[in-house]
Amino acid sequence: MSGMNEIILEAKGIYKSFSGVPVLQDVHFDVRKGEVHALMGENGAGKSTLIKIITGVYSKDAGTIEWEGKPVEINNYQDCQKLGVACIYQELSVIPPLTVAQNVFLGREPRTFGLIDYAKMNRMTQELIDRYQFPLHPATLVENLGMGQRQLIEILKGLSQNSKLLIMDEPTASLSGKEAETLFHIIETLRSEGVSVIYISHRLEEVYRLSDRLTILRDGQNAAVLNREEIVPKKVIATMIGKIVDESAGSKKMLHSDDTAPVRLEVKDLTDPADRYRHISFQVHRGEILGLGGLIGAGRTEVVRAIYGVDKAKSGEVILDGQKMNPSPKTSIAAGIGFVPEDRRSQGFIPLLSTTRNIALTNYDIIRKKGAAVSYADELAMSKKAIKDIDIRPADPDKEVGVMSGGNQQKVVLGKWLMRDLKLLIVDEPTAGIDVGAKNEIYEILENLAKQGVAIILVSSDLQELIRVSHRILVMRKGDVVKEFKNEIVTQSRVLSAGQGILDEEEAQA
Amino acid sequence: MKKMKQTTLRRFISLGLLLVLIILFAILGGGLFFNADNFIEIVRDASVVGIVGVGVTMAIITAGIDLSTGSVMALVAMTMANIYAYTLWPIPVMIILGILVGIAAGLCNGYIIGYLHVPEFIGTLATMGIFRSLTYIIAITDDNGVIQSQPMTVYGFASLGYAAGYFYLVTIAMIVFIIVGQIVLKFTRFGTNVYAVGANKKAARLSGIKVEKTQLIVYGISGFCCAVGGIFTAARLQSATAAIGDGFEFDPIAAAVVGGVALSGGSGDVVGTLIGALFMATLKNGVLKLNMNTAYQYVIKGVIIILVVMFDSAYKAHMDRLAKERGAKEGAEE
Repeated sequence: MSGMNEIILEAKGIYKSFSGVPVLQDVHFDVRKGEVHALMGENGAGKSTLIKIITGVYSKDAGTIEWEGKPVEINNYQDCQKLGVACIYQELSVIPPLTVAQNVFLGREPRTFGLIDYAKMNRMTQELIDRYQFPLHPATLVENLGMGQRQLIEILKGLSQNSKLLIMDEPTASLSGKEAETLFHIIETLRSEGVSVIYISHRLEEVYRLSDRLTILRDGQNAAVLNREEIVPKKVIATMIGKIVDESAGSKKMLHSDDTAPVRLEVKDLTDPADRYRHISFQVHRGEILGLGGLIGAGRTEVVRAIYGVDKAKSGEVILDGQKMNPSPKTSIAAGIGFVPEDRRSQGFIPLLSTTRNIALTNYDIIRKKGAAVSYADELAMSKKAIKDIDIRPADPDKEVGVMSGGNQQKVVLGKWLMRDLKLLIVDEPTAGIDVGAKNEIYEILENLAKQGVAIILVSSDLQELIRVSHRILVMRKGDVVKEFKNEIVTQSRVLSAGQGILDEEEAQA
Repeated sequence: MKKMKQTTLRRFISLGLLLVLIILFAILGGGLFFNADNFIEIVRDASVVGIVGVGVTMAIITAGIDLSTGSVMALVAMTMANIYAYTLWPIPVMIILGILVGIAAGLCNGYIIGYLHVPEFIGTLATMGIFRSLTYIIAITDDNGVIQSQPMTVYGFASLGYAAGYFYLVTIAMIVFIIVGQIVLKFTRFGTNVYAVGANKKAARLSGIKVEKTQLIVYGISGFCCAVGGIFTAARLQSATAAIGDGFEFDPIAAAVVGGVALSGGSGDVVGTLIGALFMATLKNGVLKLNMNTAYQYVIKGVIIILVVMFDSAYKAHMDRLAKERGAKEGAEE
């Protein structure tokens, strides 16, 4: 244990703000040699920003970074690699048509007489594989491997460059249970070999299992550094949310839902072909806002996409107003289902088109036609109505949506659905990256819709938002609905705990 | 294990297509088509496409394309014609200057694509016009300014169009190009970089590969291949005209596609392109020998390309699905 306390990386007094908004304030973070150091925090707590500063993607406003006791400047990823830091990207950077060995030694292939020595390269890769016990073979083509194994190649690549510190950002997000288990095993081997790991995760049980220490960030500040024996679920959750949790608005609410209202949507036994969710059944009543909580990757987005029909479920039924649906975007739109997707910019609207065109896009079936052409007067009237109804700014129907603020872009996306006779509206992370003022306006739009009898499914990772807007909350975890909060007092920590798989004791008895 | 299976399957498909075509023409045309002399002729026809195809294949593997090949060939031929007509420089100097012009034209493409960030298709479409125009501007004219074909009959040059033993020199050159091209792609760092750039530019960059430089070199090589193709074409014609290689750009691309070079980048090799070039030449030859209306050959070529690309994208979707399922299965089992 003696060598274990040597600090390999230390970030001191890190400040960073984006356009005047502080994101990191006096953050301290250190990693010891041969430790797995977890980094946790809610969305927006500053984890990614901190990592991006360490890897040289962002520059820091103030503070120092020390590597093995010496101050260093990291300005780009190459600097980082030179020091011996490897980042395992969420979005994988392996090259599918090449072999495992070719990927590991890309750009550094061993050569004899100028030609790549494949035998030697495969042998070197095999040595690494044997040393860290990776379930890989050097000559396999990467395109034949699953996501988990591709991730292992990235790790192997880092190790082949003698990296002393690996940074893993949500490494299990796209892995199956077995793949994750393999990864954990490998992380443990790395630790015993003296490699340090920064492990960013939302999943408490992973952090609990793997980490030697845990740094928790909250609102861009250090909330706590916990040693292994201090990593207790309740304590971690309380630290992440903050002590003042119970006083702050929107962190606690009495839920009310009206079961007597007619059922608008019934989902029966919905199961995913790729097993990202299974046997999902629930109902949404008229005028009800159903919140879907849980961690990122719990399968919430996949469920709502299947209800809307963008992706197909393997089995199960979707019943809208007693009518069995055969979900596809076209039939869903016709039946009165609206869908506001998670990734606004790439799925929600078309940046180069005007407000008018974006709003008209899903509504051409209800816009009058003049012969073969569309009535522009009608398009414009619809656009003006949307601008007025939900206060889209700038109030210019011809403005390209791409140049508008995030909040107004989202209003345009919502606006196109509001022009229809909606029965059910699905919103997935509707306020991600939107300022507070616009958030409130969007909540009001949702609440007004509910009052008019529209059923709403809200997927949100923002606990405050989930609790504030929802009438009833379902929490998903690893593809199952694990908890329902209904007509009871709900707090952020109860929702977060349920998402982590920790159910209340009193609930467990009931 | 899996690796062999997948790429060899695709190789078998292109070989199979070629074989089916040969059998078909042999049945329909008999001895008229199916004889040794005719096969040597077919291979000769495929040779220039094969040589230029080496460069085009590399461009397509980087997820690019080269549409300017026919124009570069013409520009090279016309450069040599000028030297031939107006100087007394020795033939080897003329050839070397021709090759340099080809490389320069290719580097031009590479610079426009790599450093000026013009999409490959548009960039080489533009230079296709530019190089063709330059060719007409420097074309040999008579006293009245009418563009003329420049004869280049001196033995030292025209002999490049002849045969050495059974095979034409151009065929021997093509075989050398294919072998060297295959070695460069499969056994050099540059070759690996070409695949990496085509499969995942971002990842290639993160791995320290200079994407722009790789593109520059690839199009430079393509220009070199075009120059050699242009030289052999002029030698075979024993003359140079401004119209050399007009519409030629279609052939190496078609050959690459039939040979299993995915237009989406990252896969294929020059041996595949050679098979594709032989397929195209066989098609052309058979249509002629069977006295079919030659206009049909473009219909057949077009339909075959669409079918092959359809197959490739369906096959890719299938493989992606398999990989995903494999990942999920590993999770479920054990």
